[in-house]
Amino acid sequence: MRRCGGHICRISFFFVSILSCVIQGPDVFAMERGYLDQVLESAVRQRLYEDRYWYVLLHYKEGFLGTESVIDDPAFFLAPDGKTNPVSEMEATIRAFFDPAGDEVCRFVARFEWLKERLRLDTDRLPVSGCASLEAFINRNSPVSVTLVFPMSHLNSPASMFGHTLITIETAQKTKLLAYSVSYSAVSRETFGPLFAVKGIFGFYPGYYAVLPYYAKLQQYSDVDHRDIWEYSLNLTIPEIRRMLLHIREMEAIYSDYYFFGENCSYMLFFLLEAARPTLQLSDKPHTWVIPLDSIRMVKEQGMITGASYRPSRTTKIKSLASQTPMPGKEIALGLARGEYKDQGPFLDTGLSKQEKMKTCELAGEYLQYLYTKDKVTEKTYQGRFLKILKMRSSLGISGGESLYSISEPVRPEKGHLSNRFALGCGVNNDDVFADFRLRPSYHDLTDNNDGYIEGAQLIFGATKLRYYDKTGSLRLESFDIVDIFSLSPADMFFHPVSWKIKTGLTRVADKDNDERLVYELNPGGGLSFKGDTLGLVYMMLETDVLIGSALEHDNAAGMGGSAGLIKTIDRSLKVHFGIKDIYYGLGDTFNSFEAFANANITIDPNKAMMLNASRNRTRDIYSTEVSVLWNIFF
Amino acid sequence: MKRFIMAIVLVCFMALPASVCFAVNQQNTGCGLGTIIMKGNDGLIFQVLAVTTNGTCGNQTFGITSGTLDCDKPAKLASRERINTYVAENMDNLASDIAKGQGEYLNTLAVLMEVPEGTRSDFYSRLQNNFSNIYTNNDVTSIDVVNNIEALL
Repeated sequence: MRRCGGHICRISFFFVSILSCVIQGPDVFAMERGYLDQVLESAVRQRLYEDRYWYVLLHYKEGFLGTESVIDDPAFFLAPDGKTNPVSEMEATIRAFFDPAGDEVCRFVARFEWLKERLRLDTDRLPVSGCASLEAFINRNSPVSVTLVFPMSHLNSPASMFGHTLITIETAQKTKLLAYSVSYSAVSRETFGPLFAVKGIFGFYPGYYAVLPYYAKLQQYSDVDHRDIWEYSLNLTIPEIRRMLLHIREMEAIYSDYYFFGENCSYMLFFLLEAARPTLQLSDKPHTWVIPLDSIRMVKEQGMITGASYRPSRTTKIKSLASQTPMPGKEIALGLARGEYKDQGPFLDTGLSKQEKMKTCELAGEYLQYLYTKDKVTEKTYQGRFLKILKMRSSLGISGGESLYSISEPVRPEKGHLSNRFALGCGVNNDDVFADFRLRPSYHDLTDNNDGYIEGAQLIFGATKLRYYDKTGSLRLESFDIVDIFSLSPADMFFHPVSWKIKTGLTRVADKDNDERLVYELNPGGGLSFKGDTLGLVYMMLETDVLIGSALEHDNAAGMGGSAGLIKTIDRSLKVHFGIKDIYYGLGDTFNSFEAFANANITIDPNKAMMLNASRNRTRDIYSTEVSVLWNIFF
Repeated sequence: MKRFIMAIVLVCFMALPASVCFAVNQQNTGCGLGTIIMKGNDGLIFQVLAVTTNGTCGNQTFGITSGTLDCDKPAKLASRERINTYVAENMDNLASDIAKGQGEYLNTLAVLMEVPEGTRSDFYSRLQNNFSNIYTNNDVTSIDVVNNIEALL
């Protein structure tokens, strides 16, 4: 055998080596393509597209028609059918991370981090190994805690009792005011109320997760809307907060159709919490309408809340401060806010102590700010007056260790009664015995226990009342309230709100033959109310009432009249409501209707109560007396 | 009639907070007292319907990574900008706290200005005593306020 000898062998070997190197070249690229294929294969093998976390990050929900993401913005999906196809979305996402252009890693950084972990990605073999700008942000800011914030109802707006929820992320270096607030809200410039309402219900507005400094939200909720705020601290750990931040980054500038009932502010926050802690069961719990307060209860049930702190609104602060300031001080505060005391010092010869003067000045300042938000003073006037009051306050010094005044913390809202109410009872009307069934889907009645709710505010939707009368052996619809809203906001030295009510629905009215028949009713009213220590909440209203139905002569009746009453909380478990109402119907069917009633509510526990009702009615000159007992259950 | 009832039901089923616009601060010219106050939708129709938006007009002005407060500038400049923005956007409540010599808004200013915790009570006293030197006239802007406060340190 001849040895491959000499130069020829060496040269050929040399050429073969070069040739094989050249052939190897494209295979480096093929190697990365091979790595991508490996990764895709691994994702399929692990069925990661079925993983709960993938569903959380993409906001997928299982429905009758299959899987669909709640998010509507096409920019949120990398696959053309990503909204309904978790598999293709995952494949498109993984491919995007291998794209040398590298934009998608930052845009979908939560997906990146999760896939990186589950697929054990070797970041050296990827074009981009992470999102540098987000890392820089996290290092600069060190997020340490998350708070669930609940701005409650505001003065004279019972419907705002439903409230709102948002999240704030506090950082190590900064204070609460500088925390990052994340709030999901509908974006619109609509000013026409009813159109806004309809569009908001049917998803015609885009909703965005907006990030603002917390002080901006406070200015809106606390100073302008005058809403009391509850801040619930959550027990999220630092790694969990990081995961949430990553997902928030993904949601910035992504919109989704805003649905007031379903995909509203509270529901959309659930995805953020689940991104932090995927074991939470929030967004996939069946629901018809997530009321913000109920969403807080759900978060509490998941064991996330470690504490709550109360942040009173400007109006609450004013009321508290006023109640702890002597009358001369209150009068001076009013005067200062109104720009009286042109030159002379207001405290001359008043005998007020230094502390009392401090309180007076602070009351004047807060009240003036309130007047300004209500457009009662012009900007120029406000600036001059405000500085004058503050200068006066600054000359009095610091109040020292003890707080100048205290604000009593009300009962935490999630500890109040639940939103729905069912009632079962019996009674007698003249000599007619009846069984009474009531169902009220939401929200709060004037006679319900106030814990967690505002006094004097009633918000009722869709309340049904059925009765079974023994004499006739018949079950009938007694009334159906589409809405029944009361806003009794007491007037005092500082505030002069108009108390108002509106009720509409079906009710029974006696016809000419004294037969009680169903008619449609629209009953608005307005007036004043006052709060006193002995009498409680006292109100007087002017009312109009429009009735439509065949029970009436000419098929309608319209009338005017008034009502008055008092609501007194006797102690934590007993509340009474006495009232009278008199309406004279002068158009259409003409007749008079008068009623005097007394209700007592006895609280057994937060979700059980007993109601005693008595009333005397005179309609079309025919008297009737009714007494009943009801057992209320909240659920 | 039925449609009318439906309309009432639908429009009454709203309970969102007041419509507001958060104006972005003009960092160059500063802001005076009372200039960044948001007005709510107050008319009776809004109260009855409790109709409002949840507060953002257009796009958010302050993102987690795209925010104006956390841009890539030299630390000193970025920190000064943060102080200016904070003071501009909280003029009234900050003035109120300085007059009282205490409060959350004043405390936050101390944190932003990196006043060491041990000297904060002196800082608060000094600002309170010099209230008229900080808020020199009715038209005082946030830029003036920051400069005047710094002159006291």
